[in-house]
Amino acid sequence: MESSLAGEQQRILASDWGGGKSPFGTSWSKFMMWIFIISDALTFAAFLIGYGFMRSISPEWPKQTQVFNMVLITFMTFILISSSAVMAMAVGAARARNPKLAFQFLVLTIVGGLIFLGCQAFEWSHLIEEGARLTHNPWGVPQFAASFFVITGFHGFHVFSGVTILAIVAIRAAMGKYSGDQVENAGLYWHFVDVVWVFVFAFFYLL
Amino acid sequence: MDEHENSISYKTYLLTWFWLLVLTGLALGLGYAPINERLKALLLVCTTLAKILVIAAIFMHLRYERINLILITLAPLILAVILFSFTFPETLGNATHLIRVR
Repeated sequence: MESSLAGEQQRILASDWGGGKSPFGTSWSKFMMWIFIISDALTFAAFLIGYGFMRSISPEWPKQTQVFNMVLITFMTFILISSSAVMAMAVGAARARNPKLAFQFLVLTIVGGLIFLGCQAFEWSHLIEEGARLTHNPWGVPQFAASFFVITGFHGFHVFSGVTILAIVAIRAAMGKYSGDQVENAGLYWHFVDVVWVFVFAFFYLL
Repeated sequence: MDEHENSISYKTYLLTWFWLLVLTGLALGLGYAPINERLKALLLVCTTLAKILVIAAIFMHLRYERINLILITLAPLILAVILFSFTFPETLGNATHLIRVR
């Protein structure tokens, strides 16, 4: 019995979890970015589940296609997915030690983010003009506009933060003061923003 | 993972982008399809999960990471399912008493 216990101890010490090795096989900064993304994903999960709960208990829910401009929403989705693809290419260029190309891809990603924010500002101002507020709206239950402003507002703030982070990384890339890890971490955040929008697009606008 | 990163070509990223757009078109079509709401919800969940798997695996390079890291990224999905299953039964039946309608 004792020998099998000692054998088990030896096995654990020799494994990745025995100390002196990284069990996750990543740099500390990338691992911290993943931990941040996981915690942020829980926040959005809570928002979307709260929205689902409110929608389920509401006697009626406005038809999204009658409230939102779906052509604009689809265009915003296209822009965010495209910027995510360009961001992946920026990471590839940074890893291949091509700062000029990485900078160009980063600028394109930033432009995509700015277009998305512009479309969102347009959509918000249009709905506010029509009378949508956090506490009431012309289409029915007050929870409809409240969910809309909270979920898209929180996501929009993430897009704004992402654009700011990408601008800093792009400036550093242009100055030659960058590392593949920095570009990749910024990229992970940007892809996460895209993932959240995929959920918002499906569950808020389409369902 | 570093040894894998340069091996992902721009062509792979462009193909991934294309398939993501196809899946977005599919989701959009489902949104307008005159089908049962529950079936629509199920199909939209499947399409959304397919999209996030593609983004995570290729754009976020998760397919090249260690299984330890891949498993912890599943935590939000698992916890979201638990949260949903704990709260959703409250909405069954006549639950309109939970909300004030103006």
